[in-house]
Amino acid sequence: MLKTGKTLAALTAGMLALSACGGNSGSSSSPKELKLWHYEGPDSAMGVAWNQAIKEFEQTHPGVKVKFEEKGFEQIQKTAPMVLNSKDAPDILEYNKGNATAGLLAKQGLLTDMSAEVTKRGWDKQLAPNIAETAKYDAKGIMGGDKWYGVPNYAEYLQVFYNKKLFDKYGVKVPTTFDEFTAAMDTFAKKGVTPLANGGAEYPAQQYLYQLALSKADRPWVDRYERYTGKVDFHDPAWTYAANTFSDWVKKGYIAKNSVSVKAENAGTSFISGKYPMFFSGSWWYGRFEKEIKDFDWDTFLWPGTKMTLGSSGNLWVVPKGSENKKLAYDFIDITMKKDIQNLLADNGGVPVAADPNGVKDPKNKKLIQNYQTLAGSDGLGFYPDWPAPGYYDVLVAGTQKLINGSASPDKVLDSFAKPYDENLSNIGH
Amino acid sequence: MTSVTVRRRTPGSYALLVSLIVLAVVMLLPFVIIAFNAIKSPAEYSSHGPLSPPKSLYLQGLKDFWERVDFGGKLLNSLIISGSVAVLAVILSVLNAYALGIGRVRGRVSIMVIFLLANTMPQEVLVYPLYFFSKKVGLYDTRLSVIIIFTAIQSAFGTYLLSSVLSAFPREILEAARMDGAGRLRILWRIIVPISRPTLGVLFVFFFIWTWNEFFLPLVFLISNENQTVPVALGVLQGQKMMDATMTSASALLGIIPAIVFFLIFQRTLTRGITVGSVK
Amino acid sequence: MTQTLSVPATETKRKPVVRRRREMTYAVYLVPSGVLFVAIILVPFLMNIGISLTRWDGIGRPQWIGLENYTRLLSDGEFWASFEHNIALVIAMAIIPAAIGLVLAAVLFDIIAKRFGPRTASILRACIYLPQVLPFAVAGIVWSWMLAPDNGALNETLKKVGLGSLREDWLGDPKLALYTVMGVMVWVQIGFPLIVFMAGLQRVDPSLYEAAEIDGASWWRRFWYITIPQIRPELYVVLLICSVAALKSFDKVYILTNGGPGNATRVPAYYSWQNFFEKTQVGYGAAIATVMTLIIVVLTAVLLRRQSKAEEDGS
Repeated sequence: MLKTGKTLAALTAGMLALSACGGNSGSSSSPKELKLWHYEGPDSAMGVAWNQAIKEFEQTHPGVKVKFEEKGFEQIQKTAPMVLNSKDAPDILEYNKGNATAGLLAKQGLLTDMSAEVTKRGWDKQLAPNIAETAKYDAKGIMGGDKWYGVPNYAEYLQVFYNKKLFDKYGVKVPTTFDEFTAAMDTFAKKGVTPLANGGAEYPAQQYLYQLALSKADRPWVDRYERYTGKVDFHDPAWTYAANTFSDWVKKGYIAKNSVSVKAENAGTSFISGKYPMFFSGSWWYGRFEKEIKDFDWDTFLWPGTKMTLGSSGNLWVVPKGSENKKLAYDFIDITMKKDIQNLLADNGGVPVAADPNGVKDPKNKKLIQNYQTLAGSDGLGFYPDWPAPGYYDVLVAGTQKLINGSASPDKVLDSFAKPYDENLSNIGH
Repeated sequence: MTSVTVRRRTPGSYALLVSLIVLAVVMLLPFVIIAFNAIKSPAEYSSHGPLSPPKSLYLQGLKDFWERVDFGGKLLNSLIISGSVAVLAVILSVLNAYALGIGRVRGRVSIMVIFLLANTMPQEVLVYPLYFFSKKVGLYDTRLSVIIIFTAIQSAFGTYLLSSVLSAFPREILEAARMDGAGRLRILWRIIVPISRPTLGVLFVFFFIWTWNEFFLPLVFLISNENQTVPVALGVLQGQKMMDATMTSASALLGIIPAIVFFLIFQRTLTRGITVGSVK
Repeated sequence: MTQTLSVPATETKRKPVVRRRREMTYAVYLVPSGVLFVAIILVPFLMNIGISLTRWDGIGRPQWIGLENYTRLLSDGEFWASFEHNIALVIAMAIIPAAIGLVLAAVLFDIIAKRFGPRTASILRACIYLPQVLPFAVAGIVWSWMLAPDNGALNETLKKVGLGSLREDWLGDPKLALYTVMGVMVWVQIGFPLIVFMAGLQRVDPSLYEAAEIDGASWWRRFWYITIPQIRPELYVVLLICSVAALKSFDKVYILTNGGPGNATRVPAYYSWQNFFEKTQVGYGAAIATVMTLIIVVLTAVLLRRQSKAEEDGS
């Protein structure tokens, strides 16, 4: 026992010695290094395109090395304020758009205001007003403000993915109007097939609901809801229609009653396995569907009969206040906005903000971009329902779950949305 | 199951064994499913679902994950951190329990309550204060900071368990040793530690595995990728909207194997306890 | 054994001065931990109380608002309503696992090890302990696969064995979700008491069992009159630590259900976390954490007093 004790002691001493010298050994950051963080997978469209951007950056900046670290989404989310407030902050990083994320950091004074750079380099001309809205914040950290705190170089939006094989089998045509859409769902439901894949435990359910509301809404409505430009009434025609229709769809079997506890991942993979004819979800599924759906043909269409659909810019490049290499960081952003990187993003199933559809070969990828350009051009991106208040995502999940299992009336559910929304307003002093 | 048939294998005892085996299988089922999905291709997962056995061996997921997060490095970090915490926390637990369980220091219940604050307090309470401390003393983003924090947290549990156990320690052994002229330190090292070895072994295993699986504080305190632990690396894959199930399973498999191996090795320590039977 | 545990008679007759000096020399052993504790646990806890009296987003200057966070918490109905679910969690994470663990430990130690060899017993023990090794972020994903309403393993199995009518939406039905979560928690938890109890049993003098066997005591009698009293210290430890864990943990529940369906599985510990990191209302989060800590500390103190009294009575 004594012997093992001594070995253990020696071992510990050694371990402690090892552990004390942390990773930030050479932290006197020489200007020859650009510290860059992002959290996109290496095979994702963004991962591929940004990797190429890093290569181009190093070519055009001889002697400068990009020190890239892939981070977890959660790690950046939970620790960004602390990291950015320390000397271990990177020079440039990817960060989520929205009031509760980039807006909060901007308000806390942790991000660089890059408005001057944006106009100087002409990025503002490349970004549709809809897209720019999530990159600009005001002094309270609310989006759509006057100062640029980030630059997005990709976008995302929702559309209906559909299974051609099932459409053919049940003799359903691709709907172009809302009536055709409900008629199509009805055909499936009558044959015992649930038409829409849904995940009640995560974002898909609230996105159906918000889309229904958007189809009866206009831009000022979205601004009131997302940017607090006026009073939001959760019992207005749009919300009432959305909640009633959603609940109705569950009753009619368009949305499965037992999808309450289903996660988004499972909703998506059940579409991949050919179980559901349709899935209304984001362009982030696109690359995955392309890679993994082997048994049937699939395509997409925009939600019929609406001017607006869910979508926004992608995450932002932000430059921390304490970054010592701001100019290099801007140079890097500039490269990601260039045509070749933008087209590379498109070729890998991403939605670039400034691509040239003619430079994209794959017809499906082309359509993805064209659909986006239609939406961006007509001011049709309605953002996401969970943005207005931190923690609102959970509120929406809980509410839509009640709609699905019928444990609360649409009216009650809308009440449950109003309370936390108003609480947040009073918290931020509106 | 009556005592007359003590060491014979009756039908009853076989029935008991079988039901325990069934229980063990139920406990292991999720592990089997993880292993299944870790060696499936993403396409196969998507078309056949998570519960079907794999049709062909696909090791790319494991390999990709290993390279993507530099798993070897993370493994080393986790070993250093968990190993150090386990050893240090056991040592501190023994010292504390000696004072509280054997020494019966006055106010020991109150002292214990304060120590147990480490377990009763939600961990998020520690984040902001310790963030500022560690920045002040230059330990932010070092493995040492995490080791120190977890040594404090784990030894609170250890102190409590060991004190409870030691307060039932046969007094006459201590008296006998004292008669022989043994000092306090000697009694601790020569008598108490060897006799409570099974419990110390359990503590060591618990501390190691608990620290190994800790996610939140390492996430906050280990910023650089080169300092990160295995669970934080697993978190890299859980994106906002995407969760690739096969990659997650592959990473989970890689992540739990070391802990399982560690447990199996030390399982033997747990079994080979010295009983108090040597008292006489 | 029982008489060997008694405190030597001389102890109680010693003079107070001697006793105090004796305590001092023992107290020295508390110094290293004491220093560490003050720095890592106590000071942060006091700072947390300070933070709870402010409005603060984690960066910059906190703004002093006195007890406002606490008055707000008192009227936060959702927070207090969710305490009900905590009771279910204590049952699932402390009481049931301790009871099952106790029986399993005794069976493995006293029957399996003796009739089928200690190897068999330790393999079974290892299997039952393994869920404790698995990070729950991963285990949660697997359980959601198995409990899926459509083609989850559980419902499929029920269908195959002809019990199709018992199929349920385990995590989606608000009446069932809490029980399902409890079931999964039991799965996670039983390994812990099992290991602690089996280690404790190794301490027990085998002659006690031998004597009881010779006297013809049945297995249940031995379990009740020897096993349980002998490992009472461990029993207290397991109940206390598991209850504390059940009261302050929310991560496992949230991975399974995200608090849903509706709010059917929401637990109070989540509110502090959410305010700390999602809403960045650190002051309010700190107030919640302080209240939770105080509640748990009171409970801990009560249990510890009882335990220490029982120990003194027993010895």
